Amino acid sequence: MRTSKLRLKAGLLLLLLALIVALPGCAGATPAATEEATAAPTEEAAPKVCPGDGSEGKLTVLEWAYYEVLDMSADFCDAHPNVDVTFNFGASDEDIFAKTQAGSGEDVMHFYTPFLKFYVDEGLIQPLDTTKLTHWGEVPKKFQDLCTLDGKVYCVPWDWGYTSVLYRTDKIPEGVDSWAALTDEKYDGHVSMWDSGPGAVSIGSYIKGYDEANLTDDQLADIKQLWIDQRPLNAFYWTSEPELVEGFTTGDVWLAYAWNGAYYSLLSSGVPVAYANPKEGRNSWVGQYAISAKSENVDLALAFLDGKIAEKTATNLLTQYAYGHVNPAAYGAVTDESLIEALSLDDPTELDRTNFTVPITFDDFQKFVGMWAEVKAAP
Amino acid sequence: MNKLRFPAFPLYYAALVLMLYLPIGVLFLFSINDGIAFSFPMKGVTDHWYRDMLKNAELMSALGNSALVAVTSSVAATALGAAAAIALTRFDFKGKAIFLAAALMPLLVPFLILGVALLILFAALDIDRSLVTVAIAHTVVSLPYTLLILMARLVGFDPKLEEAAQDLGATYPYTLRRIILPLIAPAMLAAWLVAFTVSFDEFVLASFLNKGEPTLPVYIFGQLRFANRFPQVVALAVLVMVLSITLFLISNWLQRIGSQAALEQRLGDGK
Amino acid sequence: MSNRNSPVWVLMSPSALWLGVFFVAPLLLMAAYSLRPDMRGGLFALGWQPTLKQYQAVIEQGSYLWLLGISVGMAFMVALVATTLSYPLAYFLTFRVKASAPILLTVLILPFWTSYLLRIIAWKIILGSNGLINNLLVSSGLLHEPLALLLYSRQMVVVTLVYVWLPFVALPITAGLQRIDKSLLEAAAILGAAPWESFLRITLPLSLPGVIAGFFMVFIPTVGEYVTPLLVGGSAGSMYGNIIETFFGDGLNWPLGSALAFIMLIGVLALVGAVSRLVDLRRFVG
Repeated sequence: MRTSKLRLKAGLLLLLLALIVALPGCAGATPAATEEATAAPTEEAAPKVCPGDGSEGKLTVLEWAYYEVLDMSADFCDAHPNVDVTFNFGASDEDIFAKTQAGSGEDVMHFYTPFLKFYVDEGLIQPLDTTKLTHWGEVPKKFQDLCTLDGKVYCVPWDWGYTSVLYRTDKIPEGVDSWAALTDEKYDGHVSMWDSGPGAVSIGSYIKGYDEANLTDDQLADIKQLWIDQRPLNAFYWTSEPELVEGFTTGDVWLAYAWNGAYYSLLSSGVPVAYANPKEGRNSWVGQYAISAKSENVDLALAFLDGKIAEKTATNLLTQYAYGHVNPAAYGAVTDESLIEALSLDDPTELDRTNFTVPITFDDFQKFVGMWAEVKAAP
Repeated sequence: MNKLRFPAFPLYYAALVLMLYLPIGVLFLFSINDGIAFSFPMKGVTDHWYRDMLKNAELMSALGNSALVAVTSSVAATALGAAAAIALTRFDFKGKAIFLAAALMPLLVPFLILGVALLILFAALDIDRSLVTVAIAHTVVSLPYTLLILMARLVGFDPKLEEAAQDLGATYPYTLRRIILPLIAPAMLAAWLVAFTVSFDEFVLASFLNKGEPTLPVYIFGQLRFANRFPQVVALAVLVMVLSITLFLISNWLQRIGSQAALEQRLGDGK
Repeated sequence: MSNRNSPVWVLMSPSALWLGVFFVAPLLLMAAYSLRPDMRGGLFALGWQPTLKQYQAVIEQGSYLWLLGISVGMAFMVALVATTLSYPLAYFLTFRVKASAPILLTVLILPFWTSYLLRIIAWKIILGSNGLINNLLVSSGLLHEPLALLLYSRQMVVVTLVYVWLPFVALPITAGLQRIDKSLLEAAAILGAAPWESFLRITLPLSLPGVIAGFFMVFIPTVGEYVTPLLVGGSAGSMYGNIIETFFGDGLNWPLGSALAFIMLIGVLALVGAVSRLVDLRRFVG
């Protein structure tokens, strides 16, 4: 009696599980209307993007979740539909670096400034032959320079965006004109800073007027104290944009260190926000694609990188995912007012006033991270 | 029967259930919210997040991966835990305390550290990271739970039953199968449930020890970067919830129908 | 007890092997890592000199250890409150609704099959400045301005963790309560004991193994928590786990992270050791 009841419950729980496992199968049967349906049946279920038969060669990419969609490799797949491109995922820049260092073996990696130097210093990526990149010339010099170290080009810049102070115009009608607003006591409990040591050091150096690329230990200690003092004013350190967007929408956050993605989301949903033009200048981050030093598919990898900076991919990134792309040829295709506003696409001089995140050494990176941990642990 | 009677008990239970399900209610509202950010009062209602979610092949496959890993690791943890619990509570042998300490130690180690440690181990052994390595890690961290639950249950049982059976000529395997296991079966189910829950929603180990096909929590975390994809993810969470409840209600109903006699008997001697 | 050893080896070896390979060995590797001076050369560089400099750095940087103390205190609070709140629940399920206890228990567990991350975000929506509670308070006139205090604090982390662990704790407590021999309670009733007396002198003491199991099940992992503080702790709500996570995640400073982790491990082990002297844990081992 007891056992049969038990068997019944166990059986039903198994049924529940079977259903959960089968649900993906049901979903797969529904005709997928968007290009997002990718997986052709293979033994390895890792996402494959180009819709061909994989006969032309193989390429692996270490990517961020959701960047593996066809839209973001449109030009490459058009030119090489039969390449088997598979993606492995990292959860963050640090994760991607750690995985690469651990020897995860992908051909191509996607990371953001300021990580470039780590890869170069550790010999993890190889210099690129830009003559093989047909679209390299379309990329503005400022972006090209970000990928150049010691005269050699190590990566292809791809996505970019701004960082500035985002604030609610209804809560702060007087506006914001400086990064120092993040440390202003007037906004006690309503500030949100990005949870990142290197990020904090960048902004700290803007506020204090230090040279970000050449900080002395004393200057670093100053910056640390600045953030310790700022901590009580800060509601939370955000780690992802939805978190930040939520904070602005509910009114918990009045001003924050923010990427333009959050700005765009909030504008689109009607929350009254503005993106400051601080006197110290905005910051900009850039995403970069590089080829592993150990890659055996260098030509395919180069073609992949080339496809990334081509026009169709650029247009997709801008119009469908609201991220900036380095190739200005695509800017004309953007019609979304909020997006033009968010990326200042109509003002090409904005980039000149912007401080691009500088590549730093691994040692400095660790120092900055340590500083940030100490800020959090301070009594 | 001499027990405490509080009219407040059922109220207490109800209050707890309410508190537990309140966030679920909020998630539900979020999943039908017409818009990306959520605040009160809501702006509009839509079902397009659910439709988007079902078409999202990656999301579905992440769900399947989570289920697979959770089932495998929870079954393994329950089996290993049951065997060890029986040995620890029924036999004397050297090294009991050491084993127990080692078995419970996964609870002392943040998953983060275990994740990195296992990453190093697998890389050193040249084993590829995959759902298998995640399942291995999940078994390690679930084992303390299954062990504790089963040991607590076994400690109370009088071993004389087993000794009697063996004095009457039963072999140990027979005793195990026919006496011990049926007696701890409910506890095994409880242990399995805990292990499954631990694995299904586990993020840290699943992130470090996998490559390629993410489990659901890792996928969700990755989606947090895209505010416009977020509601789909919430829609899925709600759907899984609804599915669990439905199946659960069916199970409950079937039990009522199927075991009248058993129920009567238990009520009879349970006063 | 019996002297038949062969079943023991069959029963014990799978889990012993599993733990040895997939738990003890990796931890030893970690120990080695904490003696590494830096991360030069990537993960598997050999030929570095073992050094205690990471541990030195931690001790000099006193705030990390202070944070560890805070985290232990928070974990204790969470475990205590969760166990206390869960006990009546377990009692109710075991003695009042025995037949449907598994069902009611599963009803409690079900929410945990949705994503933990998302449930916490849902709480943030409820407690935020423009959230459910504040909306009710403001619109009913009780408050003029929303309470910003509901979120982003150490207190909130504790409350959230209690919320997360409560049903889980009910499981071992219930298991412990269920195995109490009902005839003892019947005997007590026959001998004239009041329900309160029976509870205090029979049920409660006999249920302690389950309660203690539940307590430790919550206390120990909570010391190393980092996800909840990230989501609801705010800037002032960091726990020790966040620091470790920083160095393994963003920081890529595994030697320092390993050292921090080992310090925590030793601390918690010492605590557990001390407590187990007070309460004889050998009761578990029969």
